[in-house]
Amino acid sequence: MFSKKKITLAYAVEKCPKCSMLKKRKFVEGDVLFSESSKCNSCGESTMIEKIFGETLEQ
Amino acid sequence: MDFTNLDFDQLFGMKDDTNPLMMLVWILPIILFVFYGQRIQLYVTSSELKKGIKKLDSFREESRDELIDYLKKNMKLDVDPVKKIDQFLDYFTIMPVDMDPNGIVDKVQHTVRAREDYTREHLKSLSPQISDFELAKVQTLLEIASSLQMIYKIINHMFLTAKKQNNYPLILPLQMILPFIMEQAVAMKDAIPAFKSGQPVGDGIGPMVVGKMMLECTKETVSFQTVLAKTDFEDRTLFLLKAEGPGSTVGRPADALDVITSDSKIDAIIMIDAALKMEGEDSASIARGFGAAIGGIGTERFSIEAIATSKKIPIFSIVVKQSVSEAITLMTKEIADTADDVSAQVYEMLQENTQQGQSVVIIGVGNTAGVPQ
Repeated sequence: MFSKKKITLAYAVEKCPKCSMLKKRKFVEGDVLFSESSKCNSCGESTMIEKIFGETLEQ
Repeated sequence: MDFTNLDFDQLFGMKDDTNPLMMLVWILPIILFVFYGQRIQLYVTSSELKKGIKKLDSFREESRDELIDYLKKNMKLDVDPVKKIDQFLDYFTIMPVDMDPNGIVDKVQHTVRAREDYTREHLKSLSPQISDFELAKVQTLLEIASSLQMIYKIINHMFLTAKKQNNYPLILPLQMILPFIMEQAVAMKDAIPAFKSGQPVGDGIGPMVVGKMMLECTKETVSFQTVLAKTDFEDRTLFLLKAEGPGSTVGRPADALDVITSDSKIDAIIMIDAALKMEGEDSASIARGFGAAIGGIGTERFSIEAIATSKKIPIFSIVVKQSVSEAITLMTKEIADTADDVSAQVYEMLQENTQQGQSVVIIGVGNTAGVPQ
């Protein structure tokens, strides 16, 4: 009756192979692990998706 | 209060001057419970079970609708898939007779693989141009929907049988197992979005670790939906094995191991898998052990153990503990964060248990959805 609704949000963590910079962003359809992703904000190198995971929030 | 001077007649209303209506107040419930106690319990329990069964029915319906919706949106279909999907959902598998257990594993493996091959071929016939990635996804969604359908049918059958016979003891085992069944059913229902989006699930931690180790290596398909890569570590030859990602499959690691061991001399096998945690254990905790860490119906484990025993190869395992729900739904942050630690433990295990010049097979066991190599 008083239980809160839980929602799970998917995230992807991008890692720059050059400067090891990590960036967490929302999961986008088509993302798979170890695939090439956006450019690194710090050095401009192409980042790789290091992790994909879900975080559960209570509403 | 003086307890030594109790008047029992007065206490229980047995005196001649007691109102007979008051006597009925406590006599009637006793008679009622003596003769109709079980029936009352049956009604109380039934209402609880009905709620559970209603939920199971909604999960079954939801998973079927999600599958049909996915097929209509993502596959170029020549025909309406509803009839075909409903046929698939009602497919059953008759397990081989086990009165004589000799050769039972091969028979079970044959039956299960025949079913998988049949489903794959018939799904392909719905849309011949479908990619292997999409096909594996649809096959997994179909497996979830048919499992939920089967669970609903069995539980509903048990419930209706007990009700029909007005048999309370028959409903008791159902009441006891329902919470466990519901846990599994909820997990399966929650798994649908992850598989639809091609996201890695908790069970994919083994393929994730080995997939990362394979990244710079040349890969080859060694058995059905299973890839192999060879690399070196401190003068040891490593044979890295995992299901072929990013499609949703567990591959056939036993067949692959058979191929590897018939071509090369193997000195150790290391298996990385997700394992069900016990109540009270922390989720995403890592444990090491001996023996083949692989789930499923047992045929793959049997074959791996048979190969290892015949060639006298020790099997070491690393498992990441998780709940049923975590294993088949989108990987949690805690589990994903263990990947580097597991990887470090694999190398530590190699240094501790093998010598230079030896060859080791490292198998990433589990569903490789969303995890390429």
